[in-house]
Amino acid sequence: MLCDRCLKRDAKILYTEIINGVKKEQHLCEECATDYTSFQMEKPIMNSDLTLGDLLSTLLDNYAASEQKKPGEVTPSLTCNSCGTTYEEFVQKGRFGCARCYRSFHEQLGKTLKSIQGAENHTGKRPKGFMTITSDRKLKDIPEAEKLSLRLLEAIEKEEFEEAARLRDLIKQMKKEEESNA
Amino acid sequence: MLKWYEQIAPDNDVVISSRVRLARNLETFPFSSKIDEEQASALVSEVKQIAVALSEKENRRYYACNISTLSEIDKIAMVERHIVSPLLAEKEQTTGLILADDETVSIMINEEDHVRIQAIVGGMNLEQAYEEADRIDDIANEKLHFAYDEKYGYLTACPTNAGTGMRASCMMFLPALTSARMIQKLIEEVGKYGVTVRGIYGEGTKSLGSIYQISNQKTMGISESEIIENLKRIVFQVVKQERKRREYMLSVNTDEIEDQVFRSYGVLRYARQVSSEDAMNLLSQIKFGADCGLIKFDREFNVHKLMMGVQPGSLQWTLGKNVGSLTRDQARAEYIRKELPTII
Repeated sequence: MLCDRCLKRDAKILYTEIINGVKKEQHLCEECATDYTSFQMEKPIMNSDLTLGDLLSTLLDNYAASEQKKPGEVTPSLTCNSCGTTYEEFVQKGRFGCARCYRSFHEQLGKTLKSIQGAENHTGKRPKGFMTITSDRKLKDIPEAEKLSLRLLEAIEKEEFEEAARLRDLIKQMKKEEESNA
Repeated sequence: MLKWYEQIAPDNDVVISSRVRLARNLETFPFSSKIDEEQASALVSEVKQIAVALSEKENRRYYACNISTLSEIDKIAMVERHIVSPLLAEKEQTTGLILADDETVSIMINEEDHVRIQAIVGGMNLEQAYEEADRIDDIANEKLHFAYDEKYGYLTACPTNAGTGMRASCMMFLPALTSARMIQKLIEEVGKYGVTVRGIYGEGTKSLGSIYQISNQKTMGISESEIIENLKRIVFQVVKQERKRREYMLSVNTDEIEDQVFRSYGVLRYARQVSSEDAMNLLSQIKFGADCGLIKFDREFNVHKLMMGVQPGSLQWTLGKNVGSLTRDQARAEYIRKELPTII
């Protein structure tokens, strides 16, 4: 018997389809069967189930539940003002909506990260030039003392230890002055 | 240029390959759960452009393409060769890939994260894999500016990747531990040190031919070099255990094992139809025999290359067409007969 689709090769597979109660039978060759149906005898690796995602949202969910306040008290829902993802949505999916979500959910995030990762602070690589870009941006509107400690971090990062020592002493001196003023 | 699976590599009797993956995102696009098709397409074209910069700065050529335009067979073959993840191959949105000519480095675009840089090298060599990935990351960051936060580090779609965004893994060949039914125990044991054991193609996949992936779990509060050191220490322990077990197996059942190895060779040499699961198990026996010196060949022979070649996608890719499972089994048998070296 020839294949119902290509009408060229021998049919080897009887493919039965039932859609809305209507039964349709086709005799197909292997080529057409792989092309038109889900017939893939060996396709073991493509079924990537998102088990980790599910697990994660359960974890996050438990966490959110344990945080619940007294009945009747309404907790204002956190929403990321950049992409519109709500904290509940994040908990449910286990995924952030955009880079800004991290700052939007800042308050809750520390504990969440600690429960998943065992830590809430990054200690690894920084992109090249990161320190300079942000410190320049921040330098305009932060207090003098913090400005200095940022510079101190930057100096340590660049292994400029003499500069670092100078800054450390400066910070100490400022703190002392502050205390005596108070 | 020889591909990673064609080179002779350190400790490759147990460690087939070492891999490092860095997850990165751009500040200018929403993450994968919120990105629409138009943005996805813009993201892919923007990231694809770094292929030019990479080719200029590196000693190899980089090619860029849109995954979504490839045929089903091409996609499956790429998953089997660990170039792209199952998730990327399955995605309906526009997705992209940048691939180095020697297949050492691949960059997935619009996977779970905007950019996933991956470097694979043969054998036990996590440091080199990280060096490669780190260098590519620096070059890419010059053009793309990855989302990074002072406190949280590299920002990723899933909180399990935030911080370094790094997953380091070793693909392990553990026939002796498998036959001694010690894998479950191993999984529990290494779990205590923040390390997971998974099937050959990662999350949610089963193991084939006694091949497993061991990788780090945590990405935050730990530096890249600490992740590598930690994983290395555990992998070496597993290597030691596997070798010890092999020695023991050989000392008590040399004749049976030798018989099994040669029997497997015989089947692959003469069979006319071989399923991919059979092929994996038989090849795994041959690799085991060759690693233990029970069987010797007339030429250098990398079993892992063959293990990738017999996968359904790669096989059909070699054939250049989509064929049914029976034809595949026949083509697989023929492919193995052609590739298998002669015993000396």
